[in-house]
Amino acid sequence: MADIVFRNVTKRYRNTLAVDDASFTVNDNEFFCFFGPPLSGKSTILRLVLGLEAPDTGEILIGGRPVNAVSPAERNVAMVFQNLALFPHMSARENVRFPLVERKVAEAQIEKRVADVAAKLHIGHILHKPPAQLSGGERQRVAIARALVRDPNAYLMDDPISALDARLREETRVELKRIQRELGKTLIYVTHDQEEAMSIADRIAILENGKIRQIGAPAEIYDRPASTYVARLLGSPVMNILKSVRGEGGVEAAEGTIRIADRAAPADAVEIGLRPEDIKVNPWADGGQGRPARVFEVEPLGGYTVVTLAAGQARLKALLRGQPNIRPDAMVAISCEPARVHYFGQSGGALAR
Amino acid sequence: MSTIQLRNLTKTFGDFTALKTMDLDIADGEFMALLGPSGCGKSTTMNMIAGMEEPTSGRILFGERDMAGVPMGRRGVGFVFQNYAIFTHMSVRQNLAYGPRMRGAAKAEIDRRVGAIAELLQLTPLLDRKADRLSVNILQRVAIGRSAIMEPAIFLLDEPLSNVDAAFRAVMRTELKQLQRQFKQTMVYVTHDQLEAMTMADRIAVMDHGVLQQVGTPLEVYNNPVNVFVARFIGAPGMNLLKGKPAESDRGLVVDLGPLGVTPPLPDGLATTLRGARGDVLYGFRPEQVALAQGGRGLAMPVTFVERIGARTIVHLGEGGGAVKAVFDNDVGLTIGQTAIVAPDASSVRVFDAASGVAMKAG
Repeated sequence: MADIVFRNVTKRYRNTLAVDDASFTVNDNEFFCFFGPPLSGKSTILRLVLGLEAPDTGEILIGGRPVNAVSPAERNVAMVFQNLALFPHMSARENVRFPLVERKVAEAQIEKRVADVAAKLHIGHILHKPPAQLSGGERQRVAIARALVRDPNAYLMDDPISALDARLREETRVELKRIQRELGKTLIYVTHDQEEAMSIADRIAILENGKIRQIGAPAEIYDRPASTYVARLLGSPVMNILKSVRGEGGVEAAEGTIRIADRAAPADAVEIGLRPEDIKVNPWADGGQGRPARVFEVEPLGGYTVVTLAAGQARLKALLRGQPNIRPDAMVAISCEPARVHYFGQSGGALAR
Repeated sequence: MSTIQLRNLTKTFGDFTALKTMDLDIADGEFMALLGPSGCGKSTTMNMIAGMEEPTSGRILFGERDMAGVPMGRRGVGFVFQNYAIFTHMSVRQNLAYGPRMRGAAKAEIDRRVGAIAELLQLTPLLDRKADRLSVNILQRVAIGRSAIMEPAIFLLDEPLSNVDAAFRAVMRTELKQLQRQFKQTMVYVTHDQLEAMTMADRIAVMDHGVLQQVGTPLEVYNNPVNVFVARFIGAPGMNLLKGKPAESDRGLVVDLGPLGVTPPLPDGLATTLRGARGDVLYGFRPEQVALAQGGRGLAMPVTFVERIGARTIVHLGEGGGAVKAVFDNDVGLTIGQTAIVAPDASSVRVFDAASGVAMKAG
């Protein structure tokens, strides 16, 4: 069992609250991701789990055991660092062996462990090569093998694939998820890439200035963000957030930008959120199903098209499937199903409808 | 006229050919993206346009003027690098004003231009901040502003957004496009990110291993890639390609994909081409142009992985050489282990010669 528990953990560096009263449980065998902007506390949390930092207050438990006073070496959690720092002068095999050699494990034992891990990660055939001769994906696997060879309770990864180019990142993130499933180990993962977080995590914790703002499965957080802050972090293009005014028979957003016929809209909503894919865009000529908007920009992505609309006092983005025949300066009618609307209150918190 | 013409442009470093006989015409006021993986020759091309490197052979013309031997400073180009070059001891205002001041512009004129560019790039509230106190995101914005304020007729940007974070990158894509619309410079933009090229460029020049593969509008390169490299590189995920042999069936010409079965019948034009073809082909279709079908009408494949990413769900199907991806709306309801029957939209199917990788045109 290697669940990892934080109970009211706070960590301060001089005047900065790096981690602010964080409480969470990472379950055994879970792929748990921390996501947030730079300096939101992601890396500090990893350092606290590893034992490289001690909390100022609060308690950390690994596998049920309080570890505040336990040294990093005895915690048996392994770290895969950013940018896959392999030793360049060693072969892949020597890199993988390193943590065991350093701990003076018996040679027979080392060979067995390396063979096991290499088989799991399908790297047996490249172990003789130096890192410089490996592809990005292979280096990735060697770095993971090095972290796993000690048979840790849990492993931690700090933005491990950020240095790879976009196409390779897409492939590698799927590979990482498969590896984690096969190994059945707890994995805490830090990334700055929202696509990556949504793709691979069982659950995501969203951080802001050292505070945990929401924890949940990726789809849960995307579909029901707890605040405008969280809503803006996940999704591409980001959620449209507009000032809202309650009127006859529903909500009028941003001075006439869009009208939502939702009698159940919460009375204390000050903002509404519309995901770009939830905005319906129809030709104005079709009898005007919705409010008028002018097409400001059309960005074709191939499989999707992002349309920026100027409507009322606001700009908003709509994500349409395929390659619709829409040109800049065209007039369109925009609308949104009431059920797809997110409502936020005075302090940016989500409101139940 | 700020057209750029590359004629037979070649650059070698010792035995290594970084760029091979490249021809490209960039129109006045056009936003051209040079797109490709690292080592494809895009930065080398850019450096030669800028005048930082001399071509081994071939010519570069700005308008009618041959740039051979013209030093960088005399080419009248603005240049923004991946790593912003900002004077950190100066304020944002001083950085922006630097170029016009060196040219001896009047103070009132400098103030006006700094004000305008700061407004455009949302730097107005930061004008009096020291550059060394600013984030990487803001510094890159300052770097762009410092070049843009010179209103160069040709603006060259080499991966300017690769070091800024993802959220900011989306904002900057929109701003750069607006900047270019406003100043109507000829813009050459180097990137390895197909999303940046697709969303900003008027046309994209796709490059690989020092060779120009295809030039076209974003939708041209997406819809009609000339070869498998372009087909895979453009799109996220890239085009699915399955190896097979053309075969006749009672429903028309199909591609026999071996263990995966046979494809739905090909449209007439492609069928005509393939009837005359020899050897294996690659049957290509975009992940976004796939529908779920009933038995017998598509390819039956096991679901191996499901990624739900915001508005879309990427479903991974099949294994090894028979693996494909399909992008669906989130209500698709497929889970790992199920078998899905996928039918590519007939009009979106593309076929490539398996040996050469070249697209086969509908006859």
